[in-house]
Amino acid sequence: MLPAFALIRPRSLSEALSAISDDDVPYSGGTELLLAMRAGLQRPRALVDLKAVPELRRIALLDGGAEGTELRIGATTTHDELARDAVVRDSFPMLARVAAGVGNARVRAQGTVGGNLCFAEPRSDLVPALAALDASVVLIGPGGSRRVPVAEFILGMYWTVREPDELMVEVRVPVRPVRAHYVNLRITERPSVGVAIRVDADGRCRLVIGSVGEQPLVLDYDGIHEVDPDAVSAAVEPVPDLTGAEDYKRHLVAVMIRRAMAELETGKKQ
Amino acid sequence: MSGTRETAGRSVQRPDFMAKLTGAAQYTVDIGMPGMAHAKILRSDRAHARIVSIDRTAALDAPGVVGVITAADLGGLFPRFGHIVPDHSILAEEKVRYYGEPVAIVVAQSAWAAADALELVRVTYADLPDVLDVAAALAPHAPLVHEHTYGGTADESFRVLTGAEQERASSNLAHEVVLEWGDPDAALAGAATVHTTSVTFPMLYAYAMEPYNAVASYTGDLHVISTAQHPFMVRDDLARVFGLPLSKVRVTSPFVGGGYGSKSYTKVEPLAAIASWAVGRPVKLVLDVEESIYTTRVDSAEVTMTTGVDSSGRILARVADMVMDSGAYADNSPLVLAKAVNRCFGPYRVPNLRVRGRSVYTNTSPASSYRGFGAPQGNLAGETNLDQIAERIGMDPKEIRLRNVVGPGEELLPGKRGLDADLAADLEMLVDSLRGARSEDPHTGIGFGMSVSDAGAFPVSTAQVRVHVDGSVTALSGSTEMGQGSRSVLGQIVAEELGVEHSRVTVLQSDTGTTPYERTTGASRTTVLVGLAIQRACADARAKLREMAAELLGTPIEAITDVAGGVRTDEGKELGFADIVRGWFGSNAGEVTGVGLVRRDGVTQKMPPFWEVGVSGVEVRVDVETGVVDVEQLVTVADVGFAINPAAVEAQDLGAATQGLGAALFEELVYDGAQLANANVVDYRVPRMSDVPRRIDLMLAERGDGIGPYGAKGSGEGALNPIGAATLAAVARAVGRWPDRLPLTPERVWRLSCEVAPSQPAHTAPDYDGSTADAISDGTQT
Ligand SMILES: Cc1cc2nc3c(=O)[nH]c(=O)nc-3n(C[C@H](O)[C@H](O)[C@H](O)COP(=O)(O)OP(=O)(O)OC[C@H]3O[C@@H](n4cnc5c(N)ncnc54)[C@H](O)[C@@H]3O)c2cc1C
Repeated sequence: MLPAFALIRPRSLSEALSAISDDDVPYSGGTELLLAMRAGLQRPRALVDLKAVPELRRIALLDGGAEGTELRIGATTTHDELARDAVVRDSFPMLARVAAGVGNARVRAQGTVGGNLCFAEPRSDLVPALAALDASVVLIGPGGSRRVPVAEFILGMYWTVREPDELMVEVRVPVRPVRAHYVNLRITERPSVGVAIRVDADGRCRLVIGSVGEQPLVLDYDGIHEVDPDAVSAAVEPVPDLTGAEDYKRHLVAVMIRRAMAELETGKKQ
Repeated sequence: MSGTRETAGRSVQRPDFMAKLTGAAQYTVDIGMPGMAHAKILRSDRAHARIVSIDRTAALDAPGVVGVITAADLGGLFPRFGHIVPDHSILAEEKVRYYGEPVAIVVAQSAWAAADALELVRVTYADLPDVLDVAAALAPHAPLVHEHTYGGTADESFRVLTGAEQERASSNLAHEVVLEWGDPDAALAGAATVHTTSVTFPMLYAYAMEPYNAVASYTGDLHVISTAQHPFMVRDDLARVFGLPLSKVRVTSPFVGGGYGSKSYTKVEPLAAIASWAVGRPVKLVLDVEESIYTTRVDSAEVTMTTGVDSSGRILARVADMVMDSGAYADNSPLVLAKAVNRCFGPYRVPNLRVRGRSVYTNTSPASSYRGFGAPQGNLAGETNLDQIAERIGMDPKEIRLRNVVGPGEELLPGKRGLDADLAADLEMLVDSLRGARSEDPHTGIGFGMSVSDAGAFPVSTAQVRVHVDGSVTALSGSTEMGQGSRSVLGQIVAEELGVEHSRVTVLQSDTGTTPYERTTGASRTTVLVGLAIQRACADARAKLREMAAELLGTPIEAITDVAGGVRTDEGKELGFADIVRGWFGSNAGEVTGVGLVRRDGVTQKMPPFWEVGVSGVEVRVDVETGVVDVEQLVTVADVGFAINPAAVEAQDLGAATQGLGAALFEELVYDGAQLANANVVDYRVPRMSDVPRRIDLMLAERGDGIGPYGAKGSGEGALNPIGAATLAAVARAVGRWPDRLPLTPERVWRLSCEVAPSQPAHTAPDYDGSTADAISDGTQT
């Protein structure tokens, strides 16, 4: 049962920033936070509802989307909004597909990009997809703002570099001509394994393995031919759970890397 | 067959359709009573422990708290319930027997205040050694979950059915059933092929969308509104707790959000009732999903089945041993066990048989009824074993079934009703559909199976129909509408019998204070038994209306015959029901009540009232790299005699089969020590819309061979029963190796395919060595 709490509804970023503290925590879709509160794992004094903060809820291409610029995704953008956005669908189709495949309809309608990243539940589709695209997170706190690459933002299970007095404002994704693909295996509601791959125009490539370990595994290569699925599978540190033991998850990593690479080449689902 | 009928045989729209669609339907959670307080349950946080003390002073001082109730407060009441074995403490007395067991009730002005105060109740426990699974519970000198037995079962007919009652608690055996005929050992010794199969059926949760809830008001009389599937059975348990006459206990079931067996018998009603009794106000108790999972789960089972066949594939003997993990309290598990025992060997001629079943107490959440009632557990072993034998002797799995299946009219259990179905014809329909659509993919496989269940339970049912002064009709039944659509079907029978429009019939159900007695809503019985009671009530009303018409018209009763919605005289004069009621009472007032009674007599003399048929099959596709199983096709045959509402029958079959696929592929409660690791909807994976098979073929087989209205038999559970074995066989055929447990999760299927070298033939189990019946029980009885 949900314990009692105060609800604070700031109307601007500065109001929101001054409202948050150790006990007064940011709240967006509540899809993680409210479950954690129901289970008695968290008992904040107040929830600071970010949904009415205009600076946090927008998707836009900076400078008209020229190469070298960035896409910015406000922290309170829901998975549904991301999946449906015309710019995202057009220029970052992998991201749109990933968002459309998250969890279930309720989670997509309420859950946000910021909540997904800040909660740092390891079984995330967004984290490997964004890390593969070399995205960064913009944080703002009393001491000003800072940028952290997504790959470095997540420190472990439910653990990020964000300080309790900081807010995540947005995610920034560089605009570059890349080919990218994401595949996952979902056995229960959340993914058990996710593999994102990005190949640049010059052939260099990045592989990110998500959901299997406590943190995403990010690997950069000079060319896709250098990717050795079995070596990566040996390198991951799987967390066993009800969907599989360590050896099964290791095996899945190799299978999903092969599928991601094949689908990237052929454009067809394997 | 439906040609001569007006309403029966048509897929009428459910009368509660709009109420449910718009959210207007009132469920227990929506109900309030004036002055109502709210209860929360303090639950045990360990599996087995003595309660040393309970300190409630801090909780009683907390804001809004009205009372804190423990077992010590129940002086003067009978503190337990249980319709077969009254072993179930309402609140733990002296010790707790499972994690999640209710220890105290906190009643407060609001549910929040009650929840906050829960943390202030201090329970001091002294841990006891626990038995968390069947092996531990049956080990020599195992700690006992119950030190003593409980005399006096509530219900004579259950005593007959189960033969329950032990002298003293010397082990954790809750109940044992042995069924035997012929000389199975000799027959196996002389068989051409003998084959043994051991399988595990998982621990499940039925996952009705609505958890268990109750609102109770004790004022000397007791009124409980709850999610009960069998309100009359709950009434009986509550009357015993408070020592009240049945007339002073009223149990009402409003809209119920699914049951699947999990809401049969008493659950949270005694908790709400004693809370109201203790604080002198109405009390509402609402459980969440996790609490509901800890309230009732499904019996898991380990079953070993041995069959001997002759060289032509005829069954000579079957020997089975079954052990069920029934958790901390017996609840309905003794009956589930008894049914599993007589359902495990299938609808086949078995000249020599021995089945031994044991239901075992463990320090886990209590198990009880589940859709299919023992058949899913037993059928998995029986049908898998038959498929494996067919493979060993090189026979088509359809052929081996056709050689052994019991024919129409033939006796399956000695002294019981002969089979009222044509299973061979059903099987041909099923296999034609499955094989007709076969794909070429090497990683696909088909599997199918059959079951029959002695359904209907004990045939006691009563119903009333009230013909109103405007000729419209209200029918009253104590059977519960839980989503299965009985409100439509019972209304259709009334409309058919009286010749009135279905839209002018209202069916009111499930209030022990106002609707007539119904024993249970289970065992797929409503259409047949309540249907018969309704038919008889209509006939009774018609007889009264004919007499009234004769009196009104001054004609002899013999001159009056029934027509749709009224009567006709020899001379062709017609009177509608409205004319008769108005004329006889002499004013625009009055009504005529017909009463229908069903007992073990006439068509319902022979047990069971009918055999419920399950004939189902699937085609699966296995992704051998990941182990993911997709169901390409589902086929079911509804051998229901006559489908009073064909759409409802099809929906029941699709729902039952899909629920079966849940257990076959995804669902399993997993204990991690004393606690469940997945007592929530995110980690306990039930089928999603996207898991529904790609192609679905739901067939009706209507041969008018049931005793119910218009030749109907029951449905709702049958299609589930063979799904486990069918899926298991389909996966085995796709990967080349037989699994030995459900659910077939991706990880398990991957491991299975890893064990198969590319050219290796499919694995078969070792031969029968004469000792399998005892394989699970090694050294367990001391
Ligand atoms: C059943 C289920 C299935 C799921 N399946 C998937 C899946 O398949 N794939 C996947 O990727 N994810 C999945 N998820 C996770 C889902 O994406 C997240 O729950 C959701 O995005 C969280 O967003 P929210 O707005 O609801 O977060 P909230 O619950 O509101 O917040 C979560 C945490 O983040 C903090 N927070 C939120 N916004 C900010 C901010 N702007 N700045 C600082 N801190 C902030 C909160 O304080 C809180 O600690 C699933 C979740 C559930 C419940």
